[in-house]
Amino acid sequence: MVKEYQIIAKNYDLAGRASSDIKRTLKSLGIPWNLTKRVCAASYEAEINVVIHSVGGYATFEINDTYILLDFFDDGPGIPDIELAMLEGFSTASELDHANGFGAGMGLPNMKRSVDEMKVESDPFGTHVHLVFYRGEEHETD
Amino acid sequence: MKLSEIIEKYQCQVYTKELLREKEIKYAFCADLMSDALMVLNSVKDDRVLIDSILITGLTTNQSIRTAEMLDMEVVLIVRGKIPSLKVIELAKESNIILLSTEHTMFNTSGMMYQDGIKGIIYNQQW
Repeated sequence: MVKEYQIIAKNYDLAGRASSDIKRTLKSLGIPWNLTKRVCAASYEAEINVVIHSVGGYATFEINDTYILLDFFDDGPGIPDIELAMLEGFSTASELDHANGFGAGMGLPNMKRSVDEMKVESDPFGTHVHLVFYRGEEHETD
Repeated sequence: MKLSEIIEKYQCQVYTKELLREKEIKYAFCADLMSDALMVLNSVKDDRVLIDSILITGLTTNQSIRTAEMLDMEVVLIVRGKIPSLKVIELAKESNIILLSTEHTMFNTSGMMYQDGIKGIIYNQQW
């Protein structure tokens, strides 16, 4: 199954809508709770990142017998220093983002904790976050 | 502690009356930044813990509802007397989240709940 979602920049009302749908899909497919929760946490963080940091983008969700794939694409302005962005607590979020409950500097670190595989590619023209979760035996992360 | 006791004792306003039902609340977590809630609550490996939990927050936007939904939590308590907008209440109904609010501050709400035997969720601590 493949699904695609549009993510609108700075739209805090719709932020989380894609992750919400992914959660409902996983629930309806009977995916184990712990795996669902990991996928949703990572998906929500990635979606919020596109909303608060980019000029907009989209997400794709794919599920098959072996894995769940999440891809988030946006059109820039990119992450200048990915290593720095991976640090817990480092944030470039604005006051407006804080007022909406975002910008704890935990987005990418939270994703890293939740996924089995993660790849981040970024340049000034856009960022691609690729997240992989293996199905079958519940993979323990911490 | 029973949810009805919480509502009565902390003088909570109930915004999703149609979803209200009796349930036991054993754990709680409070945050205004939703990533912090996601990080800590995502480390809980037993789903019953989050179902028996309450999310205490000063954030009245859609995101507190979305976060609770992501984590399968059923109750969100807004502190400091803030009033959620209609669209937030609608989202709570749609997501099956019981939405409450109280005039008490976050510190006082948490302190009273702690005294009443509700445990705080800690990162990676399993119950």
